[in-house]
Amino acid sequence: MKNTCVEVRPQKSETAAKAVFGFAAVFSVIAVFAIIFFIFYASVPAFREIGVFNFLFGRLWAPDKEFLPVSGRFGILPMIVGSLCVTAGAVLLGGGSGVFTAMFMSKFCPAKLKGVLGHLINFLAGIPSIIYGFFGITILIPVMDRISPTGSGMGILASSVILGVMILPTVTSITKDSLDAVPREIFEGALALGASKEQAAFKTVLPAAKSGVLTALVLGTGRAVGETMAVLMVAGNSAAFPTSVFSNIRTLTINMVLEMAYASPGSLHRNALIATGAVLLVFILILNLLLGLLRRKKRERRSREKPLNIPDEGGAAPAKSYNFRETGTFTRLLKYLSAGITAAIVLVLTAIIGFILIKGLPAINFKFLFGPSGNAGASLRPAFVTTGMLILIALAVALPVGIGAAIYLSEYAKPDTRLVKTIRLFTETLAGMPSIIFGFFGVIFFCEFMKMGVSVLAGGLTLSLIILPTVIRSTEESIIAVPHALREASLALGAGKLRTIFKVVLPSAISGIVTSVILGIGRIVGESAALIYTAGAVVYTPDALTDRGASFAVMMWMFSSEGLYMSYAYGTAAVLLIFVAVLNTLIALLKNGFERGKKP
Amino acid sequence: MKNILKTVAERFAKKPPQAATAENAAENVGENVGNAAENVKEKPKMFDVDTDITVRSLDLYYGTFQALKNIDMVMPKNAVTALIGPSGCGKSTLVKSLNRMNDLIPACRITGEVIMGGRNIYDKDIDVNLLRKNAGMVFQKPNPFPMSVFDNIAYGPRTFGIRKRGDLSDIIERSLKSANLWDELKDRLHKSALSLSGGQQQRLCIARALAVEPKILLMDEPTSALDPISTGKIEELCEELKQKVTIVMVTHNMQQAARVSDKTGFFLMGDLIEYGDTAEIFAAPKHERTMSYISGRFG
Ligand SMILES: Nc1ncnc2c1ncn2[C@@H]1O[C@H](COP(=O)(O)OP(=O)(O)OP(=O)(O)O)[C@@H](O)[C@H]1O
Ligand SMILES: [Mg+2]
Repeated sequence: MKNTCVEVRPQKSETAAKAVFGFAAVFSVIAVFAIIFFIFYASVPAFREIGVFNFLFGRLWAPDKEFLPVSGRFGILPMIVGSLCVTAGAVLLGGGSGVFTAMFMSKFCPAKLKGVLGHLINFLAGIPSIIYGFFGITILIPVMDRISPTGSGMGILASSVILGVMILPTVTSITKDSLDAVPREIFEGALALGASKEQAAFKTVLPAAKSGVLTALVLGTGRAVGETMAVLMVAGNSAAFPTSVFSNIRTLTINMVLEMAYASPGSLHRNALIATGAVLLVFILILNLLLGLLRRKKRERRSREKPLNIPDEGGAAPAKSYNFRETGTFTRLLKYLSAGITAAIVLVLTAIIGFILIKGLPAINFKFLFGPSGNAGASLRPAFVTTGMLILIALAVALPVGIGAAIYLSEYAKPDTRLVKTIRLFTETLAGMPSIIFGFFGVIFFCEFMKMGVSVLAGGLTLSLIILPTVIRSTEESIIAVPHALREASLALGAGKLRTIFKVVLPSAISGIVTSVILGIGRIVGESAALIYTAGAVVYTPDALTDRGASFAVMMWMFSSEGLYMSYAYGTAAVLLIFVAVLNTLIALLKNGFERGKKP
Repeated sequence: MKNILKTVAERFAKKPPQAATAENAAENVGENVGNAAENVKEKPKMFDVDTDITVRSLDLYYGTFQALKNIDMVMPKNAVTALIGPSGCGKSTLVKSLNRMNDLIPACRITGEVIMGGRNIYDKDIDVNLLRKNAGMVFQKPNPFPMSVFDNIAYGPRTFGIRKRGDLSDIIERSLKSANLWDELKDRLHKSALSLSGGQQQRLCIARALAVEPKILLMDEPTSALDPISTGKIEELCEELKQKVTIVMVTHNMQQAARVSDKTGFFLMGDLIEYGDTAEIFAAPKHERTMSYISGRFG
């Protein structure tokens, strides 16, 4: 009889595995703390030298005017105001339209159209910021120039419009999900009382989804306040106080990305830019706090109406008769408004895509895609190579960590413990950080602290943090969807937990993992603000991970900002759009295949 | 099965008094409509009179599946009509076709007539919203809106243009009293309706339906999710309410049907097998299958 000691060894490896997964899970907590720490730490010198008050409330930003006292040269109040203005405008335009679009999709449109609109919204969400900005300067601004009394269309209104379109997908899809999640009984209950569909939708379902709508708006706000590349191109970029919606402004993010290029390392100017990032980070963290509160707030809420004081007449109240009449004109108007806004969005999207393809496709040829690139003439070859390297590095880090975290959250951790809640909160915080903050963190931590210099490696590691939350979320979703019976079957055969996870759970969750890879690639291909100062903005092809290299979006930024290579910029934009379309199609196919697979 | 159908149909054909009632009602409404049309250019207010419900050769299909087969029945006013039968026999389907909630199901197709106050509610010019106002519905699971008690009950009146706070307060008090809920809730009008117990939620839903002064109350297993005490309260309530409204109630509970209803219809796989006075049906059912169902042999 061979009695092996199977019971001892697996236990050890199981414990070790749990620890590894646990570490992966707290990785996002560590990352968030690291970002906050390094950005604040690096801005301490600026706060100390300039003074917190002078910095926050100073009205003049003039880093080059050496003759002025330091305390007066670095004031960011105009930029705080600028950020707030464009954010408010974007939330008003984009948030409002997003809610109406979601209402239309969830309650009024035919089922088939709903699917199509869903794809369109996803597409809109996948378009890189740089393309929005480019569309802004090439189409929106010339139009605005005509309307503007000053003759210059750049400024608050243009920025708000572009940012509004950009946050619309976020607001729409989250609002739509929470509208769809309102129990059908509530909608039907209203109909059964004689309410029209429109009344039931706007007066019952929408209020019932209130917290979801607020969450969507707060997320949209975060996206707007942190957006960089698109506003950079349409804001007009003057650090003065706005006086009208056509006033040129500069946001915190513009200040960061624009001046970082020529602020010399170690200088007060550069520290002040990092401190600008710290201020932006504070805004983002406040919004995250708000999100947490929203999530915690129970459905229980007190009505605002004052208590009644009706004398009790023992049921003998005189039967007054009321004149019930049909109402609902207003909600019907709201319905038409929803349909109109949705149609307008479809139009805008078609305009963006059509315009870019028409202008961009002719520029695409073999030489433009793969020809030699250097000072003599540029091609997209460096972007292909760089982006490939970036994807490999980012996935090599984010996939194992993200999958490990997802395994820990779904297979090991007890749901709803404080630890799990904390991990989720931080993962979402990480997901809500603006690209430019990641870019600054990358510069401070990877390039300087870890001494990687400006390199593809530093850029890739920065990107790994950006895509980590996506990997965690979509892996976890698909792990949770794996039926419990499968796990039990494996365990009942005597397989250990680790074996069950790797042989049964993960293979069944493969579609979620692949989805996260595709989403990650999409993000990397379109990323610019996080890469300009970590991976660099050069037209040469990198030979090694330690070289500089520019991704597609960064190259597009270089082409368009110099104004010399506009046809190249259009061409790159078209290439980017094609990528987005391909990736979105892949995700949709995966999802369809997965759902078909689930059906018996 | 066909024979049974025929007998049922014949039974109704031989009942002149009820047919007459329906015609009277039709005339009354006809006048009302005429007046309204003269006075104000408004859509006709459907059956603003107490009314019975006449179902005539109603067929209902979900896609190709026929869920109701040639139903003929008259549900008299000021009475409780109980619909019983095993699961899936079409009870809910029938109730939902009385206030056209079936309109929400795209694959659902209906032929035949449902006559209330002299109008076929499936006519093209019928205002579905007014129909639903006048034929209130209480669902199997209580479905209060996630709002305060006050706002829940005020929802219907507000939908129909009542805005004055005094009027609303008055309606809310009256409705809560009609639902025997006033004493329990008068100090909690501004608490969320979701904080009420299940039984209270269901009576709140009844009060909410009553707030727009319906003439008909449709209830689909209103007590199946409730405890015996709450059930008792709702049964008492039906007893009182039928003075004012026509009640149609689906139930799985034979005792409940026997206790509260005046008429009972027994359904099986989409057929109305037997319909008549509750006392008769429970004492001496004419059909073997009714007998075995109410004595608990199947279902
Ligand atoms: N929306 C629908 N689409 C297709 N078929 C349906 C739909 N609703 C109900 N049915 C079918 O119609 C038949 C009658 O359903 P109905 O809900 O009216 O039964 P019921 O008598 O109320 O049953 P229960 O006692 O379980 O509530 C059933 O066979 C059911 O499967
Ligand atoms: Mg039913």
